[in-house]
Amino acid sequence: MSALSTNVFAQARMKWLLVVPLLAFFVVFFVIPVGLLFATSLNPQAIGQVAVTADLTLDNYLRFFSRSNYLLAAGRSVILGVIVAAITVVVAYPMAYVIAKTEHPGRNTFLLILVLAAMQLDMVIRLYGMMVILGDEGLINQMLRGLGLIGAESSVQLMYNFMGVVMGLVQFALPFMILTLVGVIRGIDPSLEEAARSLGASRRRAFLRVTLPMSMPGILSGSLLVFALSISSYIVPALMGGFRVGVLPIHIFQQVAEGARFQFGATIAVILFVLSALAVAIYLRLGRRHSGGLA
Amino acid sequence: MTERRIPLVLAILAILGFAYMLLPIVVVVLAGLTAGEFLTFPPQGLSLRWVAAFLSSEKYLSSFFFSFKLALMTMIVSTILGTAAALFLSRTNMVGRAAMRAFFLSPVVLPGVVVGFALFAFYISTGIGLSRTIWGLWIGHILYSTPYVIGTVGAALAAYDTSLEEAARSLGASPWRAFRKVTLPNISQGIQAGSIFAFIVSFGQFEVSLFLSSPNSEPLPIAMYNSLRYQFDPSAAAAGIFAITLVIASVLLTNRLVNLRTLLERRQDGS
Repeated sequence: MSALSTNVFAQARMKWLLVVPLLAFFVVFFVIPVGLLFATSLNPQAIGQVAVTADLTLDNYLRFFSRSNYLLAAGRSVILGVIVAAITVVVAYPMAYVIAKTEHPGRNTFLLILVLAAMQLDMVIRLYGMMVILGDEGLINQMLRGLGLIGAESSVQLMYNFMGVVMGLVQFALPFMILTLVGVIRGIDPSLEEAARSLGASRRRAFLRVTLPMSMPGILSGSLLVFALSISSYIVPALMGGFRVGVLPIHIFQQVAEGARFQFGATIAVILFVLSALAVAIYLRLGRRHSGGLA
Repeated sequence: MTERRIPLVLAILAILGFAYMLLPIVVVVLAGLTAGEFLTFPPQGLSLRWVAAFLSSEKYLSSFFFSFKLALMTMIVSTILGTAAALFLSRTNMVGRAAMRAFFLSPVVLPGVVVGFALFAFYISTGIGLSRTIWGLWIGHILYSTPYVIGTVGAALAAYDTSLEEAARSLGASPWRAFRKVTLPNISQGIQAGSIFAFIVSFGQFEVSLFLSSPNSEPLPIAMYNSLRYQFDPSAAAAGIFAITLVIASVLLTNRLVNLRTLLERRQDGS
């Protein structure tokens, strides 16, 4: 501490002035609203009523856990998150490996720019592109018709179903997974793979026996991150599932925006929030040493 | 030489992966430039008719500028609050520092729909007049943009040697002067990169905006979503072209300011 004591924010009190504005902002506009949402979920259902009352009950949770409709939605969200995480690992790993092993600075930066641009681009725009490709009148169906593989009037259903949502979520999650894995793969000492090679292992065997197992911590924390992001997405199930794949975020919006059922909507929201916070908490515990800096 | 160290199978899979990641974006650009009513295969030729349609459309153009304004407003506050918080986090060794950092970064991974809903209910029940206004959206966007500033400025601070500021102090500079003349110039590129991130995250924000927008205050992603639910409108793709250009320009600018490689691969310092 003495080394730092000469700087401008020397006094502890002065230093706190730096963080108090953001802390206050987060408390007022993040902690309190989310806290009130938890409280709302414990109020009895009253259509159109938003304000929190002192009347506490577990009715909404009992309703959630006794209706197969909502339990199925929760199960569907979790399964979706797991499937998307698994597919995203498989798709992202080779991409991350190539980025990590590209030593030419220009090429390396170019690949990172591609990943970052995809990640930063508005999801609605990326889904527009996916819909143009996968829709009933989309490019793939046009191509299949052109090649005579399907009839001129028929089409293969590639979206507005579970598979479409999975493909959209993989598109959404890929950059996050790639950035997590690049750091991990680059953190693996290349001399280990070289040692395996010099002991006679083929390049593929060295990769399978050394690099891949050593990437496991990163694969795990990347999967948790992707799981949390996937179960939270509204836009992907809405556009790629056409509201036919009922997941938790879709139900929240329907309860609130269409039914003005704030209390039950809050209940679903709390359940989604807790699921995603759990995944994030495990991610943070695992990820301290293994993940990239931004997420 | 470098390429040969990558097993062929992995290289092929990586190319397919990049195609999967980037093809939808290319398709949007083509859909916005197509001469036909919608994108067909093979394409019907290029034209600027949809770009012209976007530029004369009340709906998309006004939400484009609404989003731009909202992103600028968000950028200013996120940059100030986030930079200050990152400075604090780099200069404290209090217990719970890692927890506080995780708390500030948490909105990135927590469900935006839930946080948007929580803010929406909060605005209504407290009657503070923020519901369905640009100010209400602004608050939600600040929550989701500030973590990127903290991450980027934090990385710049981690690379910065504090003893430089101390040297300035020992040579007689006042604390404020030492900070302004020595520390600030050293981290200014990180701050600029962080503010670009904040801008672009706000510009593309959908989930938080869902509950907080109204027909009078409609950001571009929401406007595009509302039209996309019913039909493919190529002028939405043309709006997309402008958004894509904006994102690519900002990533290129970020790359000039900071080393992307070190920024993205910085380990989270846990304690």
